[in-house]
Amino acid sequence: MECVVQGIIENQHVGALELLLQGLSGAPKERVRVHELCLKSGPNLGVAPSEVRLLCDLAQPTPSWTIRHVGGAMRGAGAEQISVLVRSIVESKASKNVLHYFYTIGYKLDHELLKIGFAFRFHRGAQITVTVTSANKMARLHATDEATAVTPAIQLVEITAPAAADNYNEVVSAVTAFCEYLAPLLHLSKPGHSTGIVATAAAAAASLMSSGGGKTL
Amino acid sequence: MPPIKWLMHWHPSPGATLNSQILTEACACAEALGGTKDGRWKTSIFFYRPMTRDGAAGQQNPDVPRELLGVALHERPGLYFSIVRAHHLVLQADAAFPQVMEKLQSYRVRVALNFEGIQYQMGDFCLRIGKCVPNNSEALRGIMMEVEYYPLSSIEKSRAIMEDFFEVWQETVAKKSLPGRFIHVESNFSEYGLSDQYSFQHTALQYATCLQHLMAAVTARG
Repeated sequence: MECVVQGIIENQHVGALELLLQGLSGAPKERVRVHELCLKSGPNLGVAPSEVRLLCDLAQPTPSWTIRHVGGAMRGAGAEQISVLVRSIVESKASKNVLHYFYTIGYKLDHELLKIGFAFRFHRGAQITVTVTSANKMARLHATDEATAVTPAIQLVEITAPAAADNYNEVVSAVTAFCEYLAPLLHLSKPGHSTGIVATAAAAAASLMSSGGGKTL
Repeated sequence: MPPIKWLMHWHPSPGATLNSQILTEACACAEALGGTKDGRWKTSIFFYRPMTRDGAAGQQNPDVPRELLGVALHERPGLYFSIVRAHHLVLQADAAFPQVMEKLQSYRVRVALNFEGIQYQMGDFCLRIGKCVPNNSEALRGIMMEVEYYPLSSIEKSRAIMEDFFEVWQETVAKKSLPGRFIHVESNFSEYGLSDQYSFQHTALQYATCLQHLMAAVTARG
């Protein structure tokens, strides 16, 4: 399982966010370029309709594929009260014929995206990954070289951390605590509960850029 | 790159029954050829069948394959292979792949078979002699062996030496006057897009081929 929160940020403040993340994490920035294909089960396959994501990491010299199944969110009164979504995730690496494989066993392409941006991976109470990406759509099937931004002025920020049934409370606390540091620049909430951009972002970004980012934190 | 490997299965003579005595004799042959015991091994194969939304058992959806094979090899527990024989496709994934399938609920494991036995080291060769049994019973479904030749990974370059070894092996087994013989059936690697350089995908495919022949022999015996 994993803990996840998402938020959005205007393009002009991404530089400040990067500076802040650099300072907070002390980790090197990683380039993100992921071709994400969302497949859905064909009619009458499976006990219920199902969805699987195939991720092709294009940032590496040799593209690598991952199969990703995003499960349902944890439910219950406890889950309602926390500001972080806890959900099941199963991932498996796969050989490059994985798309052909899923087509063959009865899955169909629903949509595809190219996510371009950067990520920081670091340990801060939990193994946290922050990705800042723009989602790009393709006019022609799989034409990643011709991708254009879906929302040109805005980027998606996602914070994830792996968790298990016996430690997710601590992971939720770690993620929540980390979100506080980013609060002047963006609101982070459960996926699907977007709270928009932050009014203080411009001022916070200006302050960060002039002070040299996270060094002062 | 993994070394070349051949899989062979025991083909009983017409009218002969399969029994564990053949396994014992085959192990004795490995020892007679100077093989030293080197532990046990187990490879598992899982038959997946599609699940339908209306739950109509036996009703085949024409748009999906009737069967997928999952293969977990003893020498690479971190990997998992899924084979769609009807489409000549072998996918290499990692050990979490069965969990993905479990979550998707579109195919379900119906039967699991284990290939398990004893491993012998013999100079540059490694022999693994074993039986094929269902996961939940001891009913013998077949006897088979793996022959691995460490120095080479090219299928073509190793062909002569593998054939020579197989000949010596057949002569040794023949001395026991057992009711049947070992057969090597070459998998059609190129149909699956696999090259001359041996890989774990080749092994997974060989298991699928071997299983197909073991099943055919069981059916023929009635």
